[in-house]
Amino acid sequence: MTGNSFNDETLDRYKSLNTKKKSSEWFSLLFKNKNLYLSLLIILIVFVIPVIRLFLMSFQANDSFSFENYTNILSEKYTWTVIKNTCLIVVGSTVISLIVGVSLAWIMAYTNIRLKKLMQVFILLPFIIPSYIVTIAWTQFVGNIKAFDINLYSMGGIIFVLGISHYPLVYLFTVNVLKKIPRELEWAVRASGGGQLKAFWHVTVPLALPGIVGGGMIAFLSNLDNFGIPAFLGIPSNITILSTAIYQEVIGFGENAFSRAATFSVLLAVFALFATGIQWFLLRKSKVTETAAADNSPRFYLCKSRPFVEFSIWLFIVGVSIVPLLSMLKTSLLKVYGLSFTLENITLHNFNYLLYDYDKVATALLNSLKLAGLTTLICLIIGTLVAYFRIRKPSFLTKALEVSISIPYTLPGMVLALAMIFTWMQPIPGWNPGIYGSIWILLIAYVTRFMILQVRGSSSAFTQISVDLEEAAHISGASTWSKWRYILLPLILPSVLSGSILVLLTTLTELTISSLLWSSGSETIGVIIFNFEQAGYTTYSTAFSVITLLFMGILAALVYGIIYIWQRSVRAS
Amino acid sequence: MKTELIEIKKQFGTFQALKGINLTIEDGEFVAIVGPSGCGKTTLLRLLAGFETPSDGQILMQQEIVASKTNALPPEKRNIGLVFQSFALWPHMKVKEQVMFPLKHHRFVRPELKKNSEARVTEMLNIVGLSHLADRMPSELSGGQKQRVAIARALSASPSLLLMDEPLSSLDAKLRVELRNEIQLIHQKIKTSIVYVTHDQSEALAMADKIVVMKDGLIEQIGTPEEIYFYPQTEFVASFISKANLIEGSWNGDYFSPSTSPSTRWYYPNVADSFKQSGVCPVRPEQLQLSKDSDGLCGEVKNLLFQGREVSCIVNVNGKEIHFITGIHNSLKIGDHVTLNVTNL
Repeated sequence: MTGNSFNDETLDRYKSLNTKKKSSEWFSLLFKNKNLYLSLLIILIVFVIPVIRLFLMSFQANDSFSFENYTNILSEKYTWTVIKNTCLIVVGSTVISLIVGVSLAWIMAYTNIRLKKLMQVFILLPFIIPSYIVTIAWTQFVGNIKAFDINLYSMGGIIFVLGISHYPLVYLFTVNVLKKIPRELEWAVRASGGGQLKAFWHVTVPLALPGIVGGGMIAFLSNLDNFGIPAFLGIPSNITILSTAIYQEVIGFGENAFSRAATFSVLLAVFALFATGIQWFLLRKSKVTETAAADNSPRFYLCKSRPFVEFSIWLFIVGVSIVPLLSMLKTSLLKVYGLSFTLENITLHNFNYLLYDYDKVATALLNSLKLAGLTTLICLIIGTLVAYFRIRKPSFLTKALEVSISIPYTLPGMVLALAMIFTWMQPIPGWNPGIYGSIWILLIAYVTRFMILQVRGSSSAFTQISVDLEEAAHISGASTWSKWRYILLPLILPSVLSGSILVLLTTLTELTISSLLWSSGSETIGVIIFNFEQAGYTTYSTAFSVITLLFMGILAALVYGIIYIWQRSVRAS
Repeated sequence: MKTELIEIKKQFGTFQALKGINLTIEDGEFVAIVGPSGCGKTTLLRLLAGFETPSDGQILMQQEIVASKTNALPPEKRNIGLVFQSFALWPHMKVKEQVMFPLKHHRFVRPELKKNSEARVTEMLNIVGLSHLADRMPSELSGGQKQRVAIARALSASPSLLLMDEPLSSLDAKLRVELRNEIQLIHQKIKTSIVYVTHDQSEALAMADKIVVMKDGLIEQIGTPEEIYFYPQTEFVASFISKANLIEGSWNGDYFSPSTSPSTRWYYPNVADSFKQSGVCPVRPEQLQLSKDSDGLCGEVKNLLFQGREVSCIVNVNGKEIHFITGIHNSLKIGDHVTLNVTNL
């Protein structure tokens, strides 16, 4: 018996017992090591190469390598104004987000105020509504306040709108951490002779810090990344920050425009990476009590002050989230911008015109829907597979994969958009397949940017499923395909799809990347609203914003409906 | 089905989990693999199941090689069942669907079982006594019920080999004893081979036809429960399985003299040669008795643990703790000086 040949022979014989080749064989092929590593490599290249190309481009002037771009740009006074604006705006708005987010989180997590669930929905609203629509709403709202003369087209205005657009991020991070701090720890301080205030400072604050820092950093990155708000408010008032500077370089088509834009992008990317680095440094030691369950019951009982606190919160939430939207709706119904809101001035003409006469609107809605749908589908499949390997086969390769997929999302959108141009204009130097200038560049860019959202959503789904459940399926004779079909998919689908909703709604109303990559015929919702706003068609931009919000609502309802029906049918069968 | 493991080795990075395992599981045999955590028993089970590939050696099932260094048949292509410590019930399936799943998917299911799969599910649920809970979801079951479902699921496709990975260790003490009995009754009924992994030596002694004691990736001893308990071959088996005191001293034929009292002579037949060579006598707690004369192991009572049927007693003999068991009517007190001698049970 010569060891191996005998082995293989018997193995083959054993296998040939099962000659029923299923159509699903390809599926298990995917999980064979070689194919796996190859596909992982491809994914790595798609996500990392653009950043490298952008970086190289910033060192290119007059078709040769040089530091010229950097020396030129850094010696311009304009650049330093831009950097100063960026710092002021980003830091200012982050402070607003932190103050609002943390206070709301503490009240919502620990006190006995009523209707928390409903409050939470309204608190999260500015996070779901695209920031440029929030901006339009606020400009209309401020215009309606006759008592004060507030100018949103200013540094303060930009800081304010950014701050209230991103406080939900801080809120979300902090409220979860706060709820997970075991109340026994606070009791232990009280039992050891410390008062409420001591318990707060020595237990609550240090333990909540990871959440606060994490939320603050996400808000910081979002403020840095945001293009809609500084573009809508800053461009008319000549306040330029890094993301709008890149945009203006590219559409300005000046000499060395792309290289200069690339250099600004590297500066912006450095800001973002710096913030990410600080976040990592601050959080590296904190072990958030991951396993602790959230404790939803109140810890502080407000008595007389409860109605007052509740009233203040509602006033704030409604004032920040709802009233501006109503102002926007009001404007969208006006015959001519600037008229007073009386019955004879009200019309549905704007909606009529957008939906039936101005064919770019229908095209944009359709484009955005197609792009969002395709992006969601691609991310759903690839992202879920990546998440599976990341969770089930942790190795250096899968870790590197996750990091490289997260890079395009960590980088500001404007930076990624530019990187996309460099990469896909000529994927192989000298060969231009015409991707740039078509709708496909948008699809590729969306997939590259938002893949990580799905990976994270699906990862959390897989961590909740023990490996035993999969092994039990194999032991029971299930093939890889049957295991996914009957065991994994039914279990992961609800949480995977909530990741998909995030991808769907984000791509549907994306503006930053689209503003740089759109071309005639491939306009998206964001681009059309941006163009209306730039051209001064306020009634149209408000009307289209209203249409977009309705559209988002319908889509979200549809997807949640599917999840609901699926869960019911899984339970019924 | 006869299963053979030949020189099985398994390496994880630099850690060698199994260092050459040779073992045969006969058709219909109940084999318990017992050892402390980290001894490689779970790795061995996962190799049998097909979740791991051996680094060296072969696994044969029915004279066919199912795993070798170069190739391993995946679990779904082996004729086996597995019961997990964590139950591993699929949270979205009813009890009867869990039991039905292998009947639908396993390639070794006999045609007559497949044809009457509904009846088979009922039969299996009857065997584990859960037919009234067929429509429950896993979340609506207690721990013991969950593990019964898992056993029914593992057996429904009538596998030739049933693997059990510490199936009782996540249950409470009373349920453990109850299910121990049930698993043995099921084995008597269905007569399939069982490999049962546990760290609890009393479970292994109570249930198995054959016990495999493992330590550090190697088999220490294979034998029937009686052989392992009464005639341990190594110090490890003596202390791990029979909870024996390892008393140092010198051997003279079948006679042993403890080093603390050289004048004492205990008649101790049938002890393994390894003990004679190292000058150690494995004395189980129930073999020691209080004696009136001064000859024997002398020490001071350190602690008494009342157990109901007996009193477990710890005596300090020259700085070494000696365990022995005495009747509840003995009026021993902590601090008493006692003399112990081996009685030939």
